[in-house]
Amino acid sequence: MSKKIFLDYKRCIGCKACEVACEMTHGEARIRVFEFPDLFTVPFNCRHCEKAPCLNVCPTGALFRDEDGAVAFDPLKCIGCLMCAVACPFGVPKLDEENKIMDKCDLCADRRAEGKLPACVSACPTEALKFGDVNEILWNREGRVVANLKESAEKGEGEKAYIVL
Amino acid sequence: MNVAEKLVPVVCPWCSVGCRFYAVSVNGYIRRIEFDYDHPTVNRGKLCPKGVASYQFINSSKRLKKPLKRVGEKGEGKFEEISWDEAYRIIAEKIKEIKETYGPEAIAFLGSEKITLEENYLVHKLSKAIGTNHLDFPGRYCQYSNSPARMAVFGSAPATNPFEDVAKAELIVIWGHNPAETAPVFFGQYIEKALDNGAEMVVIDPRATRGHKYASMHLKPYPGTDLAIALALLNVVISEELYDREFVQERTTGFEELKEAVKDYTPEWAEKISGVPAEDIRKVARLIATKRTALLVNEGMNQHVNGFEMAVALANLIAITGNIGKEGVWSGVFPGAQCGFCAAMSGIAPNKLPTGKLVTDEAARAELERLWGFKIPDWVGFDLTTMIREAGNKIRMMYIVAGNIAKSAPNSGWVREQLKKLDFLVVQDIFLTETAKYADIVLPAAAWFEKTGTAISAERRVQRTYKAAEAPGEAKPDWLIIVELAKELGLGEYFKYEHPDEILREINSVIPVFKGATPEYLAEHPEGCFFPCTEPGEGTKVLFKKGFKTADGKAHLQPVKWREPPEMPDEEYPLWLTNFREVGHWHTGTMTFESPSLEKRWPEEYVMINPKDAEKYGIRSGDLVKVETRRGSILVRAEVTEHVREGVIAMPWHWNVNFLTLDVIHEKTKMAELKAVAARVRKVEE
Repeated sequence: MSKKIFLDYKRCIGCKACEVACEMTHGEARIRVFEFPDLFTVPFNCRHCEKAPCLNVCPTGALFRDEDGAVAFDPLKCIGCLMCAVACPFGVPKLDEENKIMDKCDLCADRRAEGKLPACVSACPTEALKFGDVNEILWNREGRVVANLKESAEKGEGEKAYIVL
Repeated sequence: MNVAEKLVPVVCPWCSVGCRFYAVSVNGYIRRIEFDYDHPTVNRGKLCPKGVASYQFINSSKRLKKPLKRVGEKGEGKFEEISWDEAYRIIAEKIKEIKETYGPEAIAFLGSEKITLEENYLVHKLSKAIGTNHLDFPGRYCQYSNSPARMAVFGSAPATNPFEDVAKAELIVIWGHNPAETAPVFFGQYIEKALDNGAEMVVIDPRATRGHKYASMHLKPYPGTDLAIALALLNVVISEELYDREFVQERTTGFEELKEAVKDYTPEWAEKISGVPAEDIRKVARLIATKRTALLVNEGMNQHVNGFEMAVALANLIAITGNIGKEGVWSGVFPGAQCGFCAAMSGIAPNKLPTGKLVTDEAARAELERLWGFKIPDWVGFDLTTMIREAGNKIRMMYIVAGNIAKSAPNSGWVREQLKKLDFLVVQDIFLTETAKYADIVLPAAAWFEKTGTAISAERRVQRTYKAAEAPGEAKPDWLIIVELAKELGLGEYFKYEHPDEILREINSVIPVFKGATPEYLAEHPEGCFFPCTEPGEGTKVLFKKGFKTADGKAHLQPVKWREPPEMPDEEYPLWLTNFREVGHWHTGTMTFESPSLEKRWPEEYVMINPKDAEKYGIRSGDLVKVETRRGSILVRAEVTEHVREGVIAMPWHWNVNFLTLDVIHEKTKMAELKAVAARVRKVEE
């Protein structure tokens, strides 16, 4: 199963460390923190979709899926036709105005090759960004819910137990 | 050509959490950073946006590269480049001239919370060698309410516990503090961990801060009136007999006086002053008294003229509820800069010796004279605000190391006028700051990553940071500048240092709390040690487990009285103005404004206005408004938001807000009023 960056918006404090870390690594931030008036903040990056429209429409094969499942990118093959930008439902691929080719998140291929986490995940001070396999992430979350329920049951607070995600 | 990458372990140069990471250095340049997960670091590899971008500013083209001599008017910023030799000669001549004409007491020195422990120690030593005790640092406007208050009650100011105890707390009280923005790594790695463990969180702030969404209660007092809440908390804890009886009896004195002093300060009384419902105050008092509490306070409490009383009240509250000297509690000072303790613990204060003793203590002075080999003046010097007030009068010369008081000191318009009155001003910094523009000689210093030295974090962790880059042009580390200047002054025999390690070894023998923090130990243990570390080893993680640092080992509870803020809203200026920090900027922005990644995201100042007030004044988000107080006015954009309470406006402080603040100071701590002044706001037609 491919690994992705999962976003836990409840932990996010909108500090934008992810944006800056990405910018310091790639020259341009490929992740963005959206801020809402009620103090909620959501970091959002390329989803590396399982059925990736960008990848499907790319006429030159510049976009490809790498061994970890990331939708990665070969700049030498890109002709700047913008098809990927049209196809992406999230508006993720962005045109690099100078080189007239596309630019998108590749889950820090260079860092992964060295066995490191993507830069945004490494930096995130609250661990709102998690890198891993979907089942692994969900099992951890579920594990916490189960532990909460178990703890409440042990305390004899059965009627007060509710699910905290 | 050698292009080998070197991984240099460094301590982050911004806030005082003490995050560590690696600077990847190639031939004297930092190429990138690498996160450090290997060691038991305080940040566990994590970094905030400032940390990730922390080396950008050192490559700025605006860095000072050669010593400068002023050729234009003071404040104009016109300089010519001179050689180091000439700069030292001019400074040394001027110091001698002023000493002969007015005596050494006409010279004042400022240390800094931005330079290393070693460098602060040398600034202190040089000032004493020249014969002046007019010594302070801009931290005067930082922890100087909380620190003296905790000294008075507990006999020691720093944080009582390591950060890991915050994660074990049952209740997190965030009072006039915004850790989610000022210390995001601390918030994410310790406060959020406590919340994961089921802790409850209470926020006391006129603004909704970033961490506010995790809180179960949010008390919104008017700025500067939270002393009333603290008094009411004491009143509730005592009148409802919620205090820790055993602790009060065995480990404190003065409980009866305290009880008497707070008996009339009921929550209803506090409600009238602060605008916080009495019932909420009662609830918070009960929580603090019954749970293991981490009390996180910062500038929201410190930067008020009544901040000292406030800090004493909270220290009393911590003591009577027994939230001290055990695991899972936290309280203490939280410096805003990476090296606040470097200045404070090397005795950078008008009345202190580096050993922590008072300058008026004859025996302590004699002991230090024996160690240092020269005579030490015995009088108490001026604090920072008094220095500024006496500029051109009793103070003829100032020597400022890495401080930007023309922007950071309250009522900065006045400060700038005062700086013009000095006969001679030397500023040693990495950029031509607002303050440096008033200098006669500006000395180019090396930045944080360009030197080796010791940093001390908010949890008392002493860590070593190493040189990862070459300083640009002829810039030199602050310690070397002081050593060379001392030689020019004929004081060379007292300043024989070739490397910061030698200075640290001297500190090991002079300052008792750092006895065990030797260069060798810190090199082998990148995670550092907790001071007091009297022997090489982990040091002291939890303070006050048995006794306090007072003469009798007990906490001295002190009666506290209500004290009004020096300026309150009236018909002319109907609003409270307060200020706050942004996650992407640091202090006066000298460095962060030179960091493109940060500057892009946090580009300009603004004023937060509650929708009800905005409607009253016909202001909409994005409007250009004029914010005015009795000291001056500034033009900013308005942001209409529910996140600030009605009657209060708030501005980030990194830009110009100190043109509006007040230079009235507390008689004992000399803290000025930086966070609660009367203001008015009106729309400016475009």
